[in-house]
Amino acid sequence: MPDTTTGVVVIGGGSTGAGVLRDLSMRGIDAVLVEKGDLASGTTGRSHGLLHSGGRYCVNDLAAAIECVEEGRILRRIARTTIEDTGGYFVSVSEEDEAWVPRFVEGCGKAGISCERISVEEARRREPALSKQVRTVFWIPEDGHLDPFYLVMGNVESARRRGAQVRTYTEVTGFNRDGNRVTGVLTRDTMTGEETTIGCKAVINATGAWAGFVAKLLDVEVKVVPVKGVMVVLSHRVAHATINRCHKPGDGDIIVPALSVAILGTTAVRVPHPEVLPIEWEEVRHMIEEGSLMADGVSTARAMRAYAGVRPLYDLGAEAEGREMSRNFAVIDHEQRDGIAGFASIVGGKVTTYRLMAERVTDLVARRLGVTMPCATAGVPLNDRDDELDQLRHRPAQVGVPKPHGDELALQPLVCECELVRPQDVAPWFEDPAVRTLEDIRRRTRTGMGPCQAAVCSYRLAGRLVTDRHQDGPAATRAMADLLETRWRGVRHVFWGSQLRQAQVTAGLHLELFNLDRQLMLEKSTAPAGHFPPPQGEGQGGGVEKAEVASQR
Amino acid sequence: MITEEIGTFSDTVEEAAPVEACTKCTACNTVCPVARSTEIFRGPKFLGPESERYRSQPEAAVTAGLDLCSGCKLCEVTCPSQVTIQEYIRRAQNKGAEEKGRTLRDWVLGHTRLLSRFGSMTAPLANFGNRNPLVRLVMERVLGIHHKRPLPRYQWLTFERWFKRNSLSPRGGGSGRGGLATHRTVAYFYGCWVNYNDRRLGEQVVAILERNGIDVIVPKQQCCGIPAVVNANMDLARKYGVENVRRLNGLPPGVDIIASSTSCGLMLKHDYSHLLDIPGAEQVGARVYDICEYLWMLHEAGELNLDFQPVTTRLLYHAPCHLKSHGIGYPAMRLLRLIPGVQLEEVDEGCCGISGTFGVKVEKYDLSMTIGSRLFAAVKAAGSDAVLADCETCRMQVEHGAGAQSAHPIDILARAYGHG
Amino acid sequence: MRADIAVVGSGLAALVATRTLQQAGRNPVLIWPGLTSLYFTYATVDVLGYSDLTATQPVEQPEAGVAQLIADHPDHPYAVAGLDALRSGTTLLIEWLRAAGFSWQGSLAHNLLLPTAIGTPKPSCLVPDSMAPGDLRRDEPIVFCGFHGYEDFVPELAASNLSRSWGRGEGSVRAIRVSLPGFDASRLFTSIDLARSFEDKAFRQEVASRIRREISVDGHRLGVPAVLGLTHDSDIHSSFATQVGHPVFEIPTLPPSVLGLRLFDRLRKHIQESGVEMIWAAPAHEAEVSDGRCRRIFLKSAGREQPIDARAYVLAIEDTVDGALRAGVHTVVDPFFRQSLAHHAVPTERTDESLFKPQPFASIGYPVTDRLQPSDDAGRPLAGNVFVAGGAIAGYDPVGTKSRGGLAIATGYRAAKEAMAA
Repeated sequence: MPDTTTGVVVIGGGSTGAGVLRDLSMRGIDAVLVEKGDLASGTTGRSHGLLHSGGRYCVNDLAAAIECVEEGRILRRIARTTIEDTGGYFVSVSEEDEAWVPRFVEGCGKAGISCERISVEEARRREPALSKQVRTVFWIPEDGHLDPFYLVMGNVESARRRGAQVRTYTEVTGFNRDGNRVTGVLTRDTMTGEETTIGCKAVINATGAWAGFVAKLLDVEVKVVPVKGVMVVLSHRVAHATINRCHKPGDGDIIVPALSVAILGTTAVRVPHPEVLPIEWEEVRHMIEEGSLMADGVSTARAMRAYAGVRPLYDLGAEAEGREMSRNFAVIDHEQRDGIAGFASIVGGKVTTYRLMAERVTDLVARRLGVTMPCATAGVPLNDRDDELDQLRHRPAQVGVPKPHGDELALQPLVCECELVRPQDVAPWFEDPAVRTLEDIRRRTRTGMGPCQAAVCSYRLAGRLVTDRHQDGPAATRAMADLLETRWRGVRHVFWGSQLRQAQVTAGLHLELFNLDRQLMLEKSTAPAGHFPPPQGEGQGGGVEKAEVASQR
Repeated sequence: MITEEIGTFSDTVEEAAPVEACTKCTACNTVCPVARSTEIFRGPKFLGPESERYRSQPEAAVTAGLDLCSGCKLCEVTCPSQVTIQEYIRRAQNKGAEEKGRTLRDWVLGHTRLLSRFGSMTAPLANFGNRNPLVRLVMERVLGIHHKRPLPRYQWLTFERWFKRNSLSPRGGGSGRGGLATHRTVAYFYGCWVNYNDRRLGEQVVAILERNGIDVIVPKQQCCGIPAVVNANMDLARKYGVENVRRLNGLPPGVDIIASSTSCGLMLKHDYSHLLDIPGAEQVGARVYDICEYLWMLHEAGELNLDFQPVTTRLLYHAPCHLKSHGIGYPAMRLLRLIPGVQLEEVDEGCCGISGTFGVKVEKYDLSMTIGSRLFAAVKAAGSDAVLADCETCRMQVEHGAGAQSAHPIDILARAYGHG
Repeated sequence: MRADIAVVGSGLAALVATRTLQQAGRNPVLIWPGLTSLYFTYATVDVLGYSDLTATQPVEQPEAGVAQLIADHPDHPYAVAGLDALRSGTTLLIEWLRAAGFSWQGSLAHNLLLPTAIGTPKPSCLVPDSMAPGDLRRDEPIVFCGFHGYEDFVPELAASNLSRSWGRGEGSVRAIRVSLPGFDASRLFTSIDLARSFEDKAFRQEVASRIRREISVDGHRLGVPAVLGLTHDSDIHSSFATQVGHPVFEIPTLPPSVLGLRLFDRLRKHIQESGVEMIWAAPAHEAEVSDGRCRRIFLKSAGREQPIDARAYVLAIEDTVDGALRAGVHTVVDPFFRQSLAHHAVPTERTDESLFKPQPFASIGYPVTDRLQPSDDAGRPLAGNVFVAGGAIAGYDPVGTKSRGGLAIATGYRAAKEAMAA
C-alpha cells in the first residue's frame, strides 16, 4: 500500500520539472514533485541565466533557435517578473569572427530573430562597456536575463496554489510496478532516511542530466551526456545588456548582467557524472580573458565566485560532442519505446524552452491518462495577481530590476545588505517545508549572494532558524557554517584582490569574534551535517547529503 | 587601493573601481557623524558602495536619504579599503536632483558666490536682514534656511578689490614685492569666504607670505564649487572647476597655489580631478597647498621667518574634517607651536556638524547641532581664548554652538608677526 | 615632511608602537591609512586562546602558553618578538588604557572565558569591565537578553549553544527579549543607534525596568549586545547594571562594532591629544632605500605624493585585508619594497578547502630578521631602519589560536624598541 497517492509523480525540481508540475496542475491533474536536493539546485540554478533570443543557435541549430524565439516571447508574457528585458549585443572581435557575420545574419532571418546591425560608435554610445576590440555589433532586442531561481519558484508556487505538492530532499530509489505499468515511486528522504511510497498513475522523469540514473531504476536506458559549464560571477553588472560573441559558439563568449551581478559563461567539458564538476583555474582564467575581449572592466571587476553547472545534452546517437550537440529536446515515451506504461522522460533542452518541454511531455501523459484539457501554461502568467509579485522576491517593484526603495521604505531593516533582502522576504520561507538548508533560503531570496558572500547575513539567518524554525543552537550554527562553506567553495576559485580581503573579514567575524571553529569542533557529532529539519509537524530531519555538490551559483 | 593593471588579466593586482573594494567591515558607519547622531540615516556603507551596485541599472537610482550625508568625508578617511564613498553618494545625489529637480534653497546655496556677491553689494542691508528675526522667519518659510543659524556678515569691500587697490604700491612690513628679489611666487586662491566675508584673513595671508619674502599674485577665480557639489549641482561645480582649472593652469611654471580654506583646497587638490573629472585638474592639484602646509614646508626648508613676537594665549585646535582628507596631518599645530607663548591643545571630538551649507538648512539644523554637541561640550569644558580651525564654517559652528571665540590659525601667526 | 619615527598603520600594533615611542620620549608621527577592517575583532585583546589549531581546550594561562609556543616554534612571530616584548607591551597597554579613561581588566596570568554572540566560550586576556561579568569560569546562571527587531545579536542562539557546552545544569542559561522604547521593530536600527540611546539615562531606566520584569529570581547575570554607550562605556555599564539589579555583561555583535569603535576611537583620540601627530587618510607606499637605509616613504595625500623623511619606520600594516599588501591574481606584493611575498600559479592554492581551517594566504607577509626588519630571501634586511609589526609579518596567523591582540602588542612594542635603537 502506498503511503500516499496522486495522479502523476514528477521527478526533478529544475525548471522542466517545475514547468511540468504547473502544466499538470493547470490541466487538473493531481501531481507531486519530488526532488533529491532543493528546487533549482541542479542545472537550472547553475545556468548563466541568459534568456536566449535564439541568436546563439541560429546558425548551427536552427530548430532550437526557433523554439527560443517563440518561447522567449511567451515567457515575456507569463513570467515577466523573472525577466530583465536587457536586450543584447552580438559582437565580433576578430577577423575570424567576421566570417561568421553573414551566416549569423542569415540564421537570424531564418529563425525570425529581430536583429539590427549598428555602428560600433553608436553601440559604444549606448553601451560604453563594449571593448575597443569590437568590430561588428548587432543589437538583438530579445536577449535578456531570466532569473532561474525565481522561474522555478514561480512555477512551483503557481502549481501549489492549484493543489500540487512538492517534496524536496526526496530521492527516488525505485518504482512500484504492476506488470509493465508503473504504479508508484519509492522515495527516501535524503536527510532523515525516511522511506515513503507514492502511488500514481504515471511518472514523468524530468531529471535532466540525471535522467539516465532514474530510467535505470526501471532497467531502461536514457542516454544523457553531462557537459560541464563553468561560470564566473562579477560583483556588479559590468554592462547594461547581455553580450554574446558573434562567432561559432565557444567558451567564455557570454556576459549576462543578472540583477546585481554579471555572469561570465561558459565552458563545455564532457564529464563522467553530473555531480563531478571540478572547476579548473584555466577555465576561470579563460572566462575572464575571453569576457574582457568583449567588454571593458571584466578583468578589473571584483570576481565574487566561480561555479559549475551541467548541461543535460540528449544523445541522439550522433557523433557530436558537447557544444556541437543539439540544444533541442526530446520526449521519450517509454511505453512505446520500452514497453513500460506510465513512464515518460523529457531530456535535452535548455531553461529558455522549459515551458515547451513541459507542454510536450505533459501532452503525452495527459493523453494517456485520458485528460483532454489542453495546455494552458502559455496563456496564464505565473503570478496570477500583480500583488503576488513580492511574495517570492523582495524586489520592491518589477522583480529583476531593483528599483529604488521609496523614501518611507528607505529605513526598512535588511537581512542581507548586499542584495537588499528584507526580513519579510525571508520570513515566509522559514515556514516552508520544502526549505531545508540556508542555501535554500538563499536560492529563494538572494540572501548571501552579494560581495561578502553571506559573511554578515548568515548570522541573522541562523538566528531565525532558532527563533522562527525552533531549531536548537548547534543545528542553526551548523547551518550557518554550511552556508559559509558552500559560498567558500565558489570564492576560492577567484581568490585575489577584494575577495581575498573579504575572506579575512569573514574569518575575523566568524572565527575570531564568534569562535565558530571551536563551536563546530565542540558540537561535531551532535548536529546532522548539511541540513536542518523541516518545521515541526512535518516529521523529517537528520541525515547527510551524499553527493559532492560542486560550487553553486 | 591601487590599480595596477599590467598587461594581461593574470597580473591584475586590484579591481579598477574602488567601490568594489568594500568588505562590509562597516567601519565607515561607526565614524559617520550623521549615523552617530540620528537613526534616520542608513549610513555611508549602504548609501555608498552597497547602493552603487544597483545604480548602474538604467531604472535604478537609489537616492533616498542621500541628502542626509553632510559631505564631511570621514567615511573615506576611515575606510581601510580606500573606497571613495563620498564620490558615489554625491554622484547619486546629483543624479537624483537631475531627475527630480532641486529645491530653490539648494539652488541658492549651490550658488554661494552669486549669493555672496549680492550680499556683499548690499552689505549693510543684507547684514541687517540676516540679523532681523522677522526677515529670518520669512527666509525660513520661503527658502528653508533655519532661523537660528547665524549667517555670515558680508563686507562691502571684497578681497579681490582690496588686493587690486593695494597691489600697485609695496605695503609695509613685507620684504616681498618691490623689496628684495625673491625666488618664490605664489598664487592665492582666496575663496568666497575671504572675498565676501572675511577680507582680513586674506590680508593676513598676503602679509605673512610677503613677510617671508614671497610674491603673492591673485589670479581671477571662481567659486571652488564645493557648495554646488554638496547641493547636488555637479554641472555647476564642474563649470566653476573648469574655469578655475583653466585660469590656474595658465599660471607661470613654478608658481604654487595657496588656499586658506581647507574645503576649497581639497576641491582644487583632489575633487576636481576625481569627483568632477576635469581635464587638466591633476596638474593644478599637484601645485595646491594649504597655507599652513606651505608655511611648514618653508620651515623645513629653513626659509620660514621665525622672528615671532610672543603671543600669550591659550588655544584649542579643532581639525576640520576636510583637513583630514588632505592627508597632510595638522600643519597648523606644528606651526603655532613655534610661537613663544602659545599654549595649544587639540580637541579631538570629530565633526563640528555644520559641513558647509548642511547645517544651515531648516531640516538639518538640529541634526547639525546634535553632531557638534560633543565638540561644544569639550570646548566649553576646556575653556580657551579661542578655538582655531582652518575652515570657515567650522569656526561659525563652534562660535554658535560653544559660544567660543574662533579664529583661523593664520590669525595667530599674523599676530606673532605683528599683523594682528 | 620630516619626522622622528614614522609609524604606518591602523590597528593595535600601530597604536602600541606609537605609544611605546611616545612614552620613551620620542616624537612619532602616526600615518593612518583608515581604521583597520578588523577593528571589530578588538572587542577584547586576545593573547593566546588555544595552544594550537586543533585544541578545543582553551589556554588558561596565556603567558605560560606563549612561552611554550615560543619554545616549540622558534620561528613564530611571538618568538621573534620575544616574551619580554609581550610582557612589557601588555603592561604599557594596560597603563595606557587606564590613562585614556578605560576600565579594562585582565592580565597575562589568566584568560577569561567569555560567551560570543553564538554562545561559544572564547578565551580572552584583556577585556573591558563591561564584558568581564560574563566570565564562564564563574557559575552564576546567565540570561541572554536581546531586543525585538535587532537581529545582530540573537539571544536564543547564544543561549541554546552555551547551555550545551557550558555544563552548569538545567536552567543555567536562558534567553529573553524586550522591546526598546522608541524603537519600532519594523524600522532599521543598528548597534550605533542603540548605543547612542543607551547614553540617555531615562532610556536605560526604562529598558532596565522592562528587563527586571523578565527576570524574577536573583543571582543571575545578564548578557546584552554591546550597545551600552558609544563612548562612556564604564559609567553607562555600571549604572545600567545597578538599574537592572543584576550583573550585566556586553557581548560583541555583528558590525558595526561598538566595542571596536570605543577602543580605537579613544586610543586614537588620546594619543593625539597627548601630542602625537596623526596623518589621516594617507596610505603610505614606496620606500626609497639607499645605503641600506630607508630615506623616505611616500604618502598618497590629496593632490600629490608627500614624502616622509624619518629616522626610522615602523610598518604596522594589517596585511592584505587593509590593502597594505596587494594580492594580485598570482602574486602578493608589498607596496614599500616591491617584493614579491608569495606566488601561486593557481589562486585556490592560497586557501584550504574549508573556510574553517587555517588558510595558507593568512601567513603571507614579510620574512623578518630577528629584529623584525623586513628581509630578503637570504635573511638580509631590506633596510636597516625599517621594522615590521602586526599582520604583515610572514607566518602571522592569529585566527585559529585567537592571538590577534597579543601578537599586535608584542610585535608593535618590539618594533618600536628596535626603531628607537636604529
